[in-house]
Amino acid sequence: MRYGTTIMDDIGNEHPRRNLRLAERGALEERLESEPKEKAAQIKGELKSLPRKEHDYEKKFAKVRAEEKAFLAKASERKTTFEGSLADSDPTIRKWKLEAMESRARAEFYAPHADLSYDFELLAEQHRMIAEQLPAIADTRRETLDALDAAKADLEAAKKEDHSQANADFRRLRKERLKQRGEEKAALRKLYKSGQISSKAYVNEKHQKDLAAAEDIRSMKQSLKINMLADRVRYLKHRLKQDKKQGIAVLNSDISDLRRKTPIEVTKRCPWISYLTFPLPGLGQLLLGQTFKSIFFFIGSLYIYLIAIPYALGRGNYRGQGLFGLVSLAEGASRLDRSVIFMIEGVIAIILLLIAFLIYYNSFRDVNRNEKKMISGIRLNNWFETKTAAKHKGFPYFASSPSALVTLFIVLLPIAVTVLISFTNYDPTHQSKFNWIGLANYKQIILGQGIAGGPFWLITGWTLIWTLFATSLAIFVGFVLALLVNQDRVYGKRFFRTIYLLPWAVPAFITIMFFSIMFSPNGPLTALLQQLTGQVINIKESPWGTRIVLILLQGWLGSSYVFLLCTGILQSIPKDLYEAANIDGATGFQQTRHITIPILLFQTAPLMIGQYTFNFNNFSIIYLFNGGGPFEPSKYGNLAGSSDLLISYIYKLTIQKQFQGIGAAITMIVSLVLIFFTWIGFSRSKSFREEKL
Amino acid sequence: MSKNKEKGLYLSDRPPLTPVKAVLLTISYILLFFYVFIIVWPLAQIVFSSFNGNQGEYIHVGGAYQFSLKHFKYLFQETYFLNWVINTIVIAVATALLTLLFVSFTGYAYSRYRFKGRKASLMAIMLIQTIPAFVGIAAYYTMHSIISAVIPGFTRQMFLILIYAGGGIAGNTFILKGYIDSISSELDDAARIDGCGNLQVYRLIIMPIVRPMLAIIALWSFIGPFLDYLMPSILLSDPKQYTLATGLYTLITDVRNMHQPVFAAGGLLTAIPIIILFIALQKQLVSGLASGAVKG
Repeated sequence: MRYGTTIMDDIGNEHPRRNLRLAERGALEERLESEPKEKAAQIKGELKSLPRKEHDYEKKFAKVRAEEKAFLAKASERKTTFEGSLADSDPTIRKWKLEAMESRARAEFYAPHADLSYDFELLAEQHRMIAEQLPAIADTRRETLDALDAAKADLEAAKKEDHSQANADFRRLRKERLKQRGEEKAALRKLYKSGQISSKAYVNEKHQKDLAAAEDIRSMKQSLKINMLADRVRYLKHRLKQDKKQGIAVLNSDISDLRRKTPIEVTKRCPWISYLTFPLPGLGQLLLGQTFKSIFFFIGSLYIYLIAIPYALGRGNYRGQGLFGLVSLAEGASRLDRSVIFMIEGVIAIILLLIAFLIYYNSFRDVNRNEKKMISGIRLNNWFETKTAAKHKGFPYFASSPSALVTLFIVLLPIAVTVLISFTNYDPTHQSKFNWIGLANYKQIILGQGIAGGPFWLITGWTLIWTLFATSLAIFVGFVLALLVNQDRVYGKRFFRTIYLLPWAVPAFITIMFFSIMFSPNGPLTALLQQLTGQVINIKESPWGTRIVLILLQGWLGSSYVFLLCTGILQSIPKDLYEAANIDGATGFQQTRHITIPILLFQTAPLMIGQYTFNFNNFSIIYLFNGGGPFEPSKYGNLAGSSDLLISYIYKLTIQKQFQGIGAAITMIVSLVLIFFTWIGFSRSKSFREEKL
Repeated sequence: MSKNKEKGLYLSDRPPLTPVKAVLLTISYILLFFYVFIIVWPLAQIVFSSFNGNQGEYIHVGGAYQFSLKHFKYLFQETYFLNWVINTIVIAVATALLTLLFVSFTGYAYSRYRFKGRKASLMAIMLIQTIPAFVGIAAYYTMHSIISAVIPGFTRQMFLILIYAGGGIAGNTFILKGYIDSISSELDDAARIDGCGNLQVYRLIIMPIVRPMLAIIALWSFIGPFLDYLMPSILLSDPKQYTLATGLYTLITDVRNMHQPVFAAGGLLTAIPIIILFIALQKQLVSGLASGAVKG
């Protein structure tokens, strides 16, 4: 980068360079670019011959710096002379006044040198501001302090007085007010009893009267002399704190405006600090003078070098070997060192390293950007500015980081582990130690081979049939019920709605388990079926019997929710649609066909799709009704039953039968399909397309 | 109708009832009452059998009926029913509170702030939301043993709470974000000008307005643990630690423990408060589900 003759401040204004040496260099460099090539050699010669330390400007600058040093060294001397002239006893006011006096002295010192460097100009202006504003803040504080002292004295004096008269007055007034409230309420009751106001209005009005009386009594209490005085003391204390905070904040933001308008000149041309310090986040910020900020990045460094990297290398693990555990999978380790532990710890190591990388990247970018800013002439943020910016810009990160961490470790970590397990031979014979086997599990499933993969397609078929029929039945029943109940002429709507809500309101596991009992060999429904048909029908022993009962049961369970949804939508259809249809001579059937059903379908469609995915994963009903049975070893082998869905099959494989590898592979397939379908649903939904992401 | 004609006035704003419509209406009523029967009969069986003292380990219907509270007595004295209730309530309350805490922050941040990585992480949230909760079942058990080695007091139930709350973050963030989006940001701009900080804006301005949605999210997170069987059956192994769903299941599967009428009694006691909750808050619950799907 070349120097140029001007520099840019944060607002975008150009300023001429005040460092004359750099300005000369900049001018020459500009000429080098703009003028014809023949002159290049000559200009380069001039550039080389430019003096550095011997430059007049540099000499002058160094002299001022020396004066400055001497001036600053005398600060404590000045302080003692100032202190003598201070009369106030409040430490904060003393501190401010001292600071203001010192600032006045500094402003006077720097002002004559402002033309020499923007730094001096900034210091002069900044100290002038402090010298102007701090005394004013101090004076306000003095006034408030005096008022506070007076209020405290008043309060003490009032405490010694006799308050029995005032208290008695208050009690009397309160009694009167309560009596008045009683009368008002009695009047209300009369109105209610005579039927002039409704019960709801009665309750509301009563509540209003209570509130009004409480409010009045509170204000009476507040107007007691002693309470008023105590309030004033409290208020003044609050003012004291607020004024201090606000005064300093205003001063700080004025200084910050100044910093934005005053450029900075540096001799450096390349952001080398960021490149050199990136291995240690925090160091770069420290070198650039942002001390407080650097502390936060140093904490990041501590995390990287004390937690993330040692963990990834295997230190401080529970049993595993950090990242290497993912490769070795505990091979050759002791019996207690199970492969799955090594795998999980490997994934944890990856997550920790990812966070570490994020810290590296952010720190590097921060330093790099700030260095480039300085080179172009912009002053860096001081701590006040950083804090203000972080409060707004940093808030969303700060607010969502706990959720992000929990999601990372509780949701994403298990998903990642499942993905990895699906590529291993984690099965009953390899419970403690397993190996990577690539896509073999997927191959087994797709080809329907082996004990675990064999029934996959059969189960998939039944899962699809189940999802389609069970959900459609529930939707159909719920739909029809909603249409029937919400007819104009049907009475007892409330009764029907409450009853139809029950299957949804009773926890599903209870109803499912109870139906399971009723269909057991000596259960009531089995007996009933026997009476009706004259034959012994054991539902739970017959595959299709179980399947049909399951579908009916889900229709029973799921219709409630559909019914509720449809009822809600039916009630919100504007009545004038029907009136218009009536006037046009449409029959009731036509109205239902052309108004009600299209609106219902359109509005419930996304929710109904949700019902299909819900049933696809409806583990409870299958597992709790018949445990996925009955078993049909000839078709399904020993692991699955004939009513098992993919999800209950996964559960059995993973939790009960220890075929975790194949279970994970099936999980992956199922999840990918589900994600695909829900994604399509999402991307088509209105809210997604219109979302101002 | 004939009466109306005699009077010469037809005052209803509905069209008059024709014979065909009367027949259809009757059929409607028949269907409606038939379905009422279908719903009420099995539920009534639960109530009857829980009070029928004439049963042993199995439920009988149609036999002699004798009112008795012995199944409830058994439930409280011979099973861990009270433990299960307490466990479930503790897990449910903790899940609801934790979810609210997480989601309040994320929903507010995603709705009101434009920050780097927002779009990408929103996409990620939507994707995560679609991944079913059972995906991780192979890892949960081992994960718990690793965590409890690091933090000794970390019980299985705490892990269950974390799984429920963590799993709910993505979906609920989306719901809450959508809800906050619908509130005009002029209110918070005004509050900011008056000097409110980020958290004050949330606490004083946003939270009072989104309270209905927060209540719905809390309610659903609270009900979740009552209805779930899968997760506790994977994680919890000690019958004393069970939740209601896993606990009651032992009463009908475990041969030594088999007491179907006692299960009915326990189911009844569990269902009643939930039914009351659902009936009282049905509108809010349905709108919560609906907004989840529509906004999602």
